[in-house]
Amino acid sequence: MKLAGNDILIQSLVDEGVEYLFGYPGGAALHIYDAIFNQKELQHILVRHEQGATHAADGYARATGKPGVVLVTSGPGATNAITGIATAFMDSIPMVVLSGQVASHLIGTDAFQETDMIGISRPIVKHSFSIESAEEIPKVIKEAFYIATSGRPGPVVIDIPKDTTAPDKLFEYSPPESVKIRSYNPPVEPDSKQIGRAVSEILKAKKPVIYAGGGAINSNASKELFELNELLNFPVTNTLMGLGVYPAKNQRFMGMLGMHGTYQSNMAMHNADLIIAIGARFDDRITNTPDLFAPNAKIIHFDVDQSSVSKIIEANIAVFGQVKNSLIELNKQLKDKIDSIDSTLIQPWLDQIEEWTSLHGLNHELYKENSDEKKIMPQSVVQHVYQITDGNAFVTSDVGQHQMFAAQYYHFNEPRKWINSGGLGTMGFGLPAALGVKLAFPKEEVVCITGEGSIQMCIQELSTCSQYDLPIKIININNEALGMVKQWQDMSYGGRHSESTYQSSLPNFIELVESYGHIGFKIEKNSDLKGILDEAFSIKDKLVFVDVYVDPDEHVYPMLVAPNGSLKDMWIDKDKKV
Amino acid sequence: MMQRKLLVILENKPGALARVVGLFHQRGYNIESLHVDPVKDIENYAEIENSLNLKLKENEVSRLLITTTVSDNLLRQILRQINKLIDVLIAKEEI
Repeated sequence: MKLAGNDILIQSLVDEGVEYLFGYPGGAALHIYDAIFNQKELQHILVRHEQGATHAADGYARATGKPGVVLVTSGPGATNAITGIATAFMDSIPMVVLSGQVASHLIGTDAFQETDMIGISRPIVKHSFSIESAEEIPKVIKEAFYIATSGRPGPVVIDIPKDTTAPDKLFEYSPPESVKIRSYNPPVEPDSKQIGRAVSEILKAKKPVIYAGGGAINSNASKELFELNELLNFPVTNTLMGLGVYPAKNQRFMGMLGMHGTYQSNMAMHNADLIIAIGARFDDRITNTPDLFAPNAKIIHFDVDQSSVSKIIEANIAVFGQVKNSLIELNKQLKDKIDSIDSTLIQPWLDQIEEWTSLHGLNHELYKENSDEKKIMPQSVVQHVYQITDGNAFVTSDVGQHQMFAAQYYHFNEPRKWINSGGLGTMGFGLPAALGVKLAFPKEEVVCITGEGSIQMCIQELSTCSQYDLPIKIININNEALGMVKQWQDMSYGGRHSESTYQSSLPNFIELVESYGHIGFKIEKNSDLKGILDEAFSIKDKLVFVDVYVDPDEHVYPMLVAPNGSLKDMWIDKDKKV
Repeated sequence: MMQRKLLVILENKPGALARVVGLFHQRGYNIESLHVDPVKDIENYAEIENSLNLKLKENEVSRLLITTTVSDNLLRQILRQINKLIDVLIAKEEI
């Protein structure tokens, strides 16, 4: 079959199983857009800004586990995509970004809308390709998808000079059947001897903690993790990226750890004698001061990426491989030694954790407050959303206080339901990500928990939701300030709120969303909270935006004491440090 | 901290060198000296061919010699980061 470069590109994407292409047209990509017009197999979603395209593809990827695919033009189209690519890179999300480029003979001449996309994106991609001829497109696409989705996943950029997709030159379309890159061999199967060493440490542990992160979700290891803990009954904590990989409703789940983790999770990590890290990377929001981190713990670290192990915290036992495969082998070896598992060994430790939980655990019943004497607490908004959705919704978020409240108070029992920018911390992520999730799961409830600061960073995507009829729910936790910035200014800068408020410049969000054809509700009183949220969630065929005015002085606690603190050093209230 | 010599064998492709060099800056490491050329003396790389289970051809890969001053732990981290690059066949300390 003979095809032109633009059709070869689209056919290669179809052959990879791509359903949705998130993008925005422009000069250098016009041949490709013409090929999109002539086919019906994949659907293009026209966003309103290229950053929205990358976040939408990212949300789709996090929810489905399949790579998100983006198409942008050269120059500003490419540079606008950068924030979204960096977001996916930091959280190891599979993504393929096709960027148009000026024609080959113009490269390096400062042509109109020319930018060095390969150079600009280099530090934030797993790999990148420049297309040199139409004939190599099928091979490059196949390699790009393989690299994006295998090993530790990540974004791959393919830069496509306009002439390589010209419609007037035909080439034989012969996609490669398989892919092998000799210089790229990510580990899959673990070393069973290392797992044997891990087993003997596990059997001796008196104060163990399982610490699981986003890598366990990427590896689809949720079932294996659950099976592991059916054998061990160890306390479990999840990172912000790992929420849902172990069911929150399980008795052994202690909640999130780290900067705004629960008291019991942070105390358990600090006092542990064994930490089993599963697809987690000991980042600075988790360790606090690395030298003071978990002073008595041995570390077993399961990861697919060798460079994540012993980067911050030295591992005593490292197990490289797909986390899923490693846990399958670990479970097998543990089952062979089932008689050696002494469940009484950890009982005092479980009792201790219970005590910590009752001492300073989070209050999950704030939503029962309905007196108008007090302002609405942001935490209780999240708790209401949790109650109304039965904990079954996909929840996307932006970045700041609302994100931490969502992570603390919405309990995730399944992986891939909690969609947030953990590593890069990208404001503006939530709405476009929700759009991508809703396309993938049109029948599921998709809620974007955001704030009035973050939502305005990609608010143009309300228009995209209108074009494709995407009835997501947006819960805008409105404290009329950049809450997390303000919290830090309260705590570390003598309450000087430098540039963290907007005077009276906020839009009327209700009129704004209505102008796009959506529905808006405003809530200002505790006594209205449940009723209006119930009404909002009863609407299934329209996007609903709920603008909730909350107590602007509320802070997120617990909060680690930094700098120079350990995991046991926390603010647990405005005036209480432990 | 001591001066180390690293050997990197990578695909002789446009942009491959920039990925290695860029990584040093991104991760906060310093390059003291750098030498790069296409590998012609394949016969001297039999050990690498065996460890990777492949056959090299003349000029198909580049040899990169880098000197940098780092601690043992950082050296291990740098080598792991370089080895992670898709175009790199092997990165190791040259003793």
